[in-house]
Amino acid sequence: MRRWTLPLCALLGVSFWAGTATTRAAADRAQAQAASAQVALGRQIVISHACGECHGGGDNPAADGWLQGVKSPAMEIKMGPNLVMRPKNLTPDNTTGIGRLTERQIFNALRYGLRPEDTPDVDITGTTPGKGNFPEHPHYLSPVMPWSAWRFMTDAEIKAIAAYLKRGLKPVVNKVADSDGPPDFWASEVTPEKIGPYPAAKFPTVNEQGGSR
Amino acid sequence: MRLPPAILIVLGVVLVPVFAQDHQHPMEPASGPAGKITPVGPAVLANASSQPRTVEVTLTAAPTQVSLLPGRMTAVYAYNGRVPGPTLEAREGDRVVIHFKNDLPEPTTVHWHGLHIPASSDGSPYDPILPGRQHDYVFTLQRGSAGTYWYHPHPDHITGGQIGRGLFGTIVVRPEQDPLPAMREQLLVIADKRMTADGAIEWPDPKSLQGGIDEENGREGNVIFVNGEVTPTIAIRSGETQRWRILNASASRVYRLALAGHTFVHVGSDGGLFEKPVEVKEILIANSERVELLVRGTGAPGSRVALQALPYDRYAPPTRPKDWDTTRDLLTLQYSNDAPTAPVAIPDRLRAIPSLDPAKATAHRVITFGQGMINGRKMDMARIDVRARLGATEIWTIENVVAMDHPFHLHGFQFQVLDRNGVPEPFVSWKDSVNVPKHETVRLIVKFDDYPGKWMFHCHILDHEDHGMMGVLEVR
Repeated sequence: MRRWTLPLCALLGVSFWAGTATTRAAADRAQAQAASAQVALGRQIVISHACGECHGGGDNPAADGWLQGVKSPAMEIKMGPNLVMRPKNLTPDNTTGIGRLTERQIFNALRYGLRPEDTPDVDITGTTPGKGNFPEHPHYLSPVMPWSAWRFMTDAEIKAIAAYLKRGLKPVVNKVADSDGPPDFWASEVTPEKIGPYPAAKFPTVNEQGGSR
Repeated sequence: MRLPPAILIVLGVVLVPVFAQDHQHPMEPASGPAGKITPVGPAVLANASSQPRTVEVTLTAAPTQVSLLPGRMTAVYAYNGRVPGPTLEAREGDRVVIHFKNDLPEPTTVHWHGLHIPASSDGSPYDPILPGRQHDYVFTLQRGSAGTYWYHPHPDHITGGQIGRGLFGTIVVRPEQDPLPAMREQLLVIADKRMTADGAIEWPDPKSLQGGIDEENGREGNVIFVNGEVTPTIAIRSGETQRWRILNASASRVYRLALAGHTFVHVGSDGGLFEKPVEVKEILIANSERVELLVRGTGAPGSRVALQALPYDRYAPPTRPKDWDTTRDLLTLQYSNDAPTAPVAIPDRLRAIPSLDPAKATAHRVITFGQGMINGRKMDMARIDVRARLGATEIWTIENVVAMDHPFHLHGFQFQVLDRNGVPEPFVSWKDSVNVPKHETVRLIVKFDDYPGKWMFHCHILDHEDHGMMGVLEVR
């Protein structure tokens, strides 16, 4: 009996280990597939939402300068005297791109319009300054950035964009000069009157029909 | 002899104020020049100790009124009734005892900026001194630490308000043997304040646009004071060399200093003298930094020249002030009418500074400066952001990913800058504060050779620090 104990234990151990390994490998594979599906979804949204029209590369991920930000004065957007917008480098380079921003900070930028490098990396649960982690003095992205429409994307869609930018792009060093703007960092442009409510009014509104009224 | 307690108390009341009287900085009389020469240099804290190698001083922080602008009184917070506070003078190896009393209506601490002393003496936000309370700060000055340091409050969230109301003073640690020849010294403490016409220090509503701009840029003053005076005059004789110790005690301003027609001999920084003097045309001093300069009186007898702050763009475009590119005069250097004196010889070599070896680094860390936060987080006293082993050598990469300069300060330990944006530092020096310009990267090396405990690292723009741009390092 005794001489069987050790090999039996070893055998059980190995099969247990093999079983765990198989399960873990499968889980890893599933996770990788989900991650790459998330990146692929993000890529598709980025292309179809014309991010490259301002940030570089047009609608073609194979184009020179894809999402690398302003590379020539022609890419600058002049909104008025001393109001020159310079679309940023969205590749995950650490100092000139978004490499040091987390996917949550990018999420908060697209959902709430908050400049990610000016906003702590926290879950935000409301839009009242000083409450629910919403900054006391919010700094917003420039109004040429159409986040006020894109905030209506689902959480999964916005997270997919962040995943694509952080994990689906190669980092490229391109230092973009800072945009000009008002000292309130566009807070005066970001009011419910100007950008509308979030979430959107319940369907159907007076302009809509269908559904189950 | 035994004296009854009542007599002791009476003696104490009579004697203590005598001993505690701070001495006006000794100034040589200016000879010759026309015009008023303002005595420059804060008072020196009176040493009440008769023991050798011991400096024992009394320091009280309290609200008071001082005259900062001619004919007007300004409500301030002051150390021993003075702005700037009196200078703490001591020697390497001295034991320093500071009997501190908080007579402010709010908690405070005294942080001994740049000194390598135990964490319990650091005056960090973990050890507030409540209103009305006393505390003795006790530490021994390290050998080799001779240099210019400063002291200021460091309570949680309200440091900017206390320094901005006048609580700051300089520490001069003198060496056993100074490699520089004896010469006239000038201690210059530069601090700006936003003054109203009636002489009050102005504090805007934090919720106002100006409040928001102050939070963004750090508060800037419209008046720049040198040793609590507006454009004071310093006397110099043609041919004379003076040693200037300059502290930038401003909340946020960075000064690019130049003296027309003169070059500076840059001999030291935060942690004391360099290995060799370096000749420079101008010098950048970010807030909380110190520089030691030799100023050679190459001007003609009777002439005068202004020490100027040249424009320096530390700002993000939206909140860059309209007058950011204005050159400002900080003080006047007035030459006496005396015939030129023979210049003193400046040694080629000042001291040896052992370089910390990057090959010995056991940890490489990235500290990312966002706007008002570090590594995406606001300061939390209950959280440890970096844990380091006692004795370890570490390399820290300070990355600034935003559009504004942020000066980095590490408490308790002097470090050496390795490179800036990949460009190796031209020479070795000891630093405790280094400016990290917008979108730039500074790598530094530090050895946590002594003193376990919790240490702060932060942006030294005071409004940023108070709004959470600070982290906690635990050495254990």
